[in-house]
Amino acid sequence: MSAITTDIPVTARSGWTRTQWAGTAILMLIVAFALLAPILFPADPLRQSLRNILGGPDAASPLGYDHLGRSLTARLAAALRLSLWIAAAAVVTSAVLGMAVGVLAAWRGGWVDRLAALLADSFLALPGLLMVLIVSAIVPSTPLAFWIGLTLVLWIEYFRLTRATVSRLIVAPGVQASRLLGFGPVYIFRRHLWPELAPMLLTVAAFGAATAIMTIAALGFVSVGMRPPTPELGLMMVEMLPYYREAPMALLTPVLATFLTLLGLNLIAGGRRA
Amino acid sequence: MTILLNAENVSVHAGAEQLVEPVSLALRAGRPFTILGETGSGKSLLAQAIVGTLPDGLRASGQVTLDGHALDLARPGGHRALWGRVIGVLPQEPWLSLDPLMKARAQVAEGHALVRGLSWEDAGTAADRDLAELGLDGAGDRRPDQLSGGMAQRVAFAAARAAGARIVVADEPTKGLDVARRDDVIELLMREVREGGALLTITHDLALARRMGGDLAVVLKGRVVERGPADQVLTNPQHDYTRRLIAADPSSWPQGLRRPPKGAPVLSARDLSVTRGGKRLFEGLDIDLHPGEIVGIWGPSGCGKSTLGDILLGLAHPDRGTVTRCAGIAPVRFQKLYQDPPSAFPRHIRLGQALDDLVRLHGLNAARIPGLMERLRLSPILLSRRPTGVSGGELQRLALLRVLLLDPVFLFADEPTSRLDLITQAEVTELLSEAARETGMALLIVSHDPDLLDRTADRVISLGTAPEGDAGTPRGVPRAGGGERLRDRVALV
Repeated sequence: MSAITTDIPVTARSGWTRTQWAGTAILMLIVAFALLAPILFPADPLRQSLRNILGGPDAASPLGYDHLGRSLTARLAAALRLSLWIAAAAVVTSAVLGMAVGVLAAWRGGWVDRLAALLADSFLALPGLLMVLIVSAIVPSTPLAFWIGLTLVLWIEYFRLTRATVSRLIVAPGVQASRLLGFGPVYIFRRHLWPELAPMLLTVAAFGAATAIMTIAALGFVSVGMRPPTPELGLMMVEMLPYYREAPMALLTPVLATFLTLLGLNLIAGGRRA
Repeated sequence: MTILLNAENVSVHAGAEQLVEPVSLALRAGRPFTILGETGSGKSLLAQAIVGTLPDGLRASGQVTLDGHALDLARPGGHRALWGRVIGVLPQEPWLSLDPLMKARAQVAEGHALVRGLSWEDAGTAADRDLAELGLDGAGDRRPDQLSGGMAQRVAFAAARAAGARIVVADEPTKGLDVARRDDVIELLMREVREGGALLTITHDLALARRMGGDLAVVLKGRVVERGPADQVLTNPQHDYTRRLIAADPSSWPQGLRRPPKGAPVLSARDLSVTRGGKRLFEGLDIDLHPGEIVGIWGPSGCGKSTLGDILLGLAHPDRGTVTRCAGIAPVRFQKLYQDPPSAFPRHIRLGQALDDLVRLHGLNAARIPGLMERLRLSPILLSRRPTGVSGGELQRLALLRVLLLDPVFLFADEPTSRLDLITQAEVTELLSEAARETGMALLIVSHDPDLLDRTADRVISLGTAPEGDAGTPRGVPRAGGGERLRDRVALV
């Protein structure tokens, strides 16, 4: 039998657009910087040095120094790693949670479906930022609070999308035929549901990651997110704001990094072929 | 007889590829002209080229004279002034072409007012007259969703002709209609012809072509292979394709051998009653299905044919009654074939992979596949394709193969050939009945075509519906054929 089958992947992506490649390239550059900077320019992002206050670029830190003489290169890389980590973790958990609840709701229907929809609607009633703030008031560790809070915000979109798609597919002849042929839920998910869901999930995931990064930066900027001296994009912006005259580049660096990250993610999400 | 439309050397190209070879034809007042061909034969393209409604990217060439107006098809745009006034199109599935939010009267009045230039008041009166002529008195205030399929078709017809078009082009006018409704449409079109109009009908329906009479052209792969008076072509076909087409019509199939039921039934249902959407579909229905038996279910659309099969398979539940399976038979040996073959396979994986999955799940003998493929006249290369890359007929045979791998004792075939062309339909139906006879599986086959069931099945269960509430019933629910409240279990002959 294996003579007939070929080893081409089940969900052969039907080609990325140029826009999506551009987005991926930008994102890869950001990730590469975040990961490689500590190796190429080793410095402690918390180490202050009065000699370097608002110093310009040098060989040890090509992005210069902040008002406490800390290496901006090291701080930016650390801030990006933090944001990307939290975003990635939140996207993964919210996708798994949202899809699981969505498939369950569409598949079982009845009260399971109603309960899940009610839950999602109640979460949706709270603004995303507020949700993250509430969680951070309960959970002591800030990164953990961000992760949980963002997951609770982001899972709804996966849930709704999955539920709408699955409830359409589940009554289609294809799924009915597979059931009659004796296939179980795992097979139906793998062969019927996942190939339809996967391309949509990429879009939602990219948007979700952008939302997460923006939320972290926004809360940092209004000083209710990460606590100093932790390097974080929003915090770095607000810390450098008073020195915009003396060191405009030091202020622009975290802004630019945030902008490029969000641009990359949005290009990936929005560049799908119509 | 006056020639209302004369087309010379009409051809259609997509880039360098010729889709329709040059054709000349003439429509005469009072004589219908029918173009017969299967899906993808280019018959609709030919009509669209003549009417000037080809989709973007396609190019027509040739000359058309419409009621004295000469047009060069290579230069599009000349038709616009004649649309509605000289030539009108009755679209495929007209209930989809009507404005869903507009009342019937207004849809017809628009043509009178905007194309003919009557005042809205006069246009309304004219629309009422048109509707009354077509037996639609009182229907003018209904929206399309409140009209039955046949009524919607008549409204679309009135709208197409409102501006005085004497040449009517009907594109697959019987598509999606059952037999009773089909007769209404034919009567409607023939009326137009009797009144001195010209009619060009495009169809794949042999019965329609036969009933229309007049002239007939048979199209195969963009080429007219045979033409002449309809009765002559259909009774004495010259071209091989026409012969095959006529032979594939269920009414000319040889009568299959009927077998009396043998052995213990594999599936029995007692006292089934079903109501859907407040409508009683059937009640007190008893069915026994024996090994190797072929049982047909006939009935107009919406009468519960598919529901009955699903109940027998346990996919739906009756309001009352029981379904009993013969003890000791694995559940996977009760199977179903679907009306729309592509939708019955996982969309994103290769067909070979889908079969492989099945073989692995049940530990089947994969060595049987090549033999079955050959038996069902399927090329092995199909297994490397996805469902979208395979024709409907091939896919339905692959679905049959997939089912046969499980040695079914019962197969419910839900209109398995209604989306297929005539010749393919004949092939698939023949293979199905052979499979039933050879393997001893009971076959329950649903069709809206009484001839097909008559030639194939050992007995036919006929489902009917109550005729009440016709006016508001959705399309496709029959009005004709009705008086009988319920005719259950009418044994054939």
